[in-house]
Amino acid sequence: MTGDPIPVRASSTLECRNCGAGAPVDEHFCPQCSRILALGRHGDYFSFFGLPRKLVIDPADLERRFRDLSRKFHPDYFYNASPTERLASLERSSYLNDAYRALKNPVSRVEHLLAIEGLPPAKSEDPSTGSGLGGGKVPPSLLEEVFALNEELDEIRELRESGADPDKLRARLEKARAPIDARRDEHEQQLQALSARWDSQQGAPPAEKRATLDALRERLLERNYINNLLATIEREVASLAGSGQPATGSHG
Amino acid sequence: MGKVVGIDLGTTNSLVAYVDGGRPVVIRDEGGDALVPSVVSLGEDATIFVGREAQRRLLTAPSRSVYSVKRFMGRGIDDVRGDAALLPFRVSGEPGGVVRIGVADREFTPPEISAFVLRELKHRAEEHFREQGEFDFEVDRAVITVPAYFNDAQRTATRDAGRLAGLEVLRIINEPTAASLAYGLDTRNRGTIAVYDLGGGTFDISILKVEDGVFQVLSTNGDTHLGGDDIDRLLVEMVLADLAGSASPGAAEGRIPAEGGPARAKGRGAGAAEHLGAGAGGPAAAGFGGPAIEAIRRAVIQAKWDLSDVEETEIHVEPSPAVPAGYRRRITRADFERIIHPLVDRTMDPCRQALADAGLQPKDIDEAVLVGGSTRIPLVRRMVEELFGRTPHSELNPDEVVALGAAVQADILVSGRREMLLLDVTPLSLGIETMGGVVSKIILRNSTIPASGREMFTTGVDNQTGVDIHVLQGERELAADCRSLSHLHLRGIPPMVAGLPRIEVRFQIDANGILSVAARELRTGIEQTIEVKPSYGLTDQEVERMLIESFEHAEADFEARLLIDARNEAESVVHATEKVLRRLDLDGAGSGAFEPGERERINSALIGLKAVMAGTSRETIHDWTHALNHVTQRLAEVTMNRTVREALAGRNVKDV
Repeated sequence: MTGDPIPVRASSTLECRNCGAGAPVDEHFCPQCSRILALGRHGDYFSFFGLPRKLVIDPADLERRFRDLSRKFHPDYFYNASPTERLASLERSSYLNDAYRALKNPVSRVEHLLAIEGLPPAKSEDPSTGSGLGGGKVPPSLLEEVFALNEELDEIRELRESGADPDKLRARLEKARAPIDARRDEHEQQLQALSARWDSQQGAPPAEKRATLDALRERLLERNYINNLLATIEREVASLAGSGQPATGSHG
Repeated sequence: MGKVVGIDLGTTNSLVAYVDGGRPVVIRDEGGDALVPSVVSLGEDATIFVGREAQRRLLTAPSRSVYSVKRFMGRGIDDVRGDAALLPFRVSGEPGGVVRIGVADREFTPPEISAFVLRELKHRAEEHFREQGEFDFEVDRAVITVPAYFNDAQRTATRDAGRLAGLEVLRIINEPTAASLAYGLDTRNRGTIAVYDLGGGTFDISILKVEDGVFQVLSTNGDTHLGGDDIDRLLVEMVLADLAGSASPGAAEGRIPAEGGPARAKGRGAGAAEHLGAGAGGPAAAGFGGPAIEAIRRAVIQAKWDLSDVEETEIHVEPSPAVPAGYRRRITRADFERIIHPLVDRTMDPCRQALADAGLQPKDIDEAVLVGGSTRIPLVRRMVEELFGRTPHSELNPDEVVALGAAVQADILVSGRREMLLLDVTPLSLGIETMGGVVSKIILRNSTIPASGREMFTTGVDNQTGVDIHVLQGERELAADCRSLSHLHLRGIPPMVAGLPRIEVRFQIDANGILSVAARELRTGIEQTIEVKPSYGLTDQEVERMLIESFEHAEADFEARLLIDARNEAESVVHATEKVLRRLDLDGAGSGAFEPGERERINSALIGLKAVMAGTSRETIHDWTHALNHVTQRLAEVTMNRTVREALAGRNVKDV
């Protein structure tokens, strides 16, 4: 572990329900009687794992921490414990599983960071209710691609309904997909670069850190939008398969 | 504290195992048989038969016998109509309620039937521990396995069955994961494993990562309605179609269950049927009831088993009142594979989905493991091998491996040994119904359990003090397409302006994969009372009531067992006495062997005991047994001495 300071909240103490001793919020077991501590209102997945609030994480290290903590908390090992300890084990295990799921994936890791840094969630509106093609408001940087894709998809739909060759339409969809795929790759790289910048800014002035967080949030919004576009293309491909190919039923 | 066991509660067979000196072992009967058929039969005098005896009664008393009840656990009547069509027992229930199974004049819920099977396993284990000379042989706790793809209602029903059987259910664990624990004992200690589990009635696929003794399930998928039973059913339908076809083509339609359409077509093409006797029509084809289906089912199961070893066999139904003409047909492995291919193929998509959910390709799988009796079928092995590109493991008996794993998990729970840890997942997403009948997901499928999620609710009307929430499980977008788990009624919300209350509802899936719910109004901190009405399960009150009833029955069952014991003892005393008397007569000992009046006393005691033996009074049988014992005591001693003398006569003193 690095020596970076982990922000500690003011009222962050837990009280051991067994011996009454106080414990820092990131402790899992009472420093005095070593019983498992009730979870309390924990909110920071990074500190729960004993990690600094950084975005570049070694997956093998995270997995090892997850296994170690699982072995400490799992309800299997509290079968004969008191009801309070059993509840604490259940809560800590559930929280650990949620935390691991969130931190394992680089994107949900950024989302969690934004949440604990107090930014609004980077979720686009529900695609089914949105007015745009991919749902929600079209991010300005994507306007050009979205218009082009929109037109192309309209045409392909019309051709499909008039019974055009599905293979040709599939090829057109693949072609339409290429620039969107390229944008997503670009975004992955931008996310990585911003993540590295965030990690290097631990001691930087709050305004600089905030700028990085805002940029991360902007990338996530665009990324969600791009994913919705790709999903729309996928659906189109699927409906081609449905109409163009004979039903796949195995006959003995 | 009593003993702890692991139980595999299967669709067709169930087993019990425990850990003995660090190794899991299954408990067998005197004949070495580990499988207890999951069949329950109600005797004419209300005795409950379970296992082999119940299985025999399927032929003689089909209307009093129940099997494959696992298919009905945690389900509603609408889910099971297809299954019920070919089963010889009555299945009923209100739409949207628990299934009820009619046996003679009684009705049972599926957990009650399963509880009979569990009680038999408990009894078997207790007998085993008693024979081992254990002082405390009572079995009071168990780990019970379920298919990984079982939903909340099915898991809860299984847990209820355990409670009804007088067992504390330590944990419900998934069958494929249990199997991996059993395998994990002596195979590699790291890698990515695919467990393919095709049992009697269910199919599961689980992908696990094993490292440092932690068995972490990455994803799971399956079909709770696909197994060896379905294979049997295809073959039964084929035979029924043959029989019907040979009678009169016009009458065939009505006899073949609606779902049998495709199978019938395939069956016809699979080979030529030959019937015993010329007049195969008439009574034989005029509708087949329970005994006929059961006789045919046995014949096709035998053929299925044969075809795992040989290339060609015969489906042979002996002529009987149920199938007067009998039935005979040759079937090759190729025919068989053609018939069952669509079924086995249905296991492939769940496998691919599980791989995709784990973010893996088939080549990433280090080991594939086969579990469940149906994986003995060569076609199944071949298709699994093709999919994962490697020869699957089947070193451990595929029927026993799940029970062994359950025993290992039971041992982990009570012993506190920490070298192994199972981290399983919830197979289906959990959500609640929102506006417009859309499901809002709260815990996603393949989340490691225990898992929790929370959702905020508020009121829509001023001073509203209650909120109703519909909890669902499944992957579809619309509530109507998901499994309804329960309706929660939140009560006691403090009267406030609409939209002001902030009610946090917390969903907790425990390590059994079973959901519990808690709610709190955050502004006032008032805990909400929650009434949970399970959609397809039993309420706690119902379980309590059944438990009380089962205790009452348990007393009757206990009495019945004591009566049987008394009869057995009486029989052996009668037998021994008669043997000695016959021996003395043969030896020509004459009256010299008896003291005055002794022979008469023995005779009257013998007649008396024989007269009461068939009765139902345990005390009377006991008294007369005692009387006969008493009057034969002297004779027994004399005979014993003589036997000992004879035994010693031919031997050297040194050998004694």
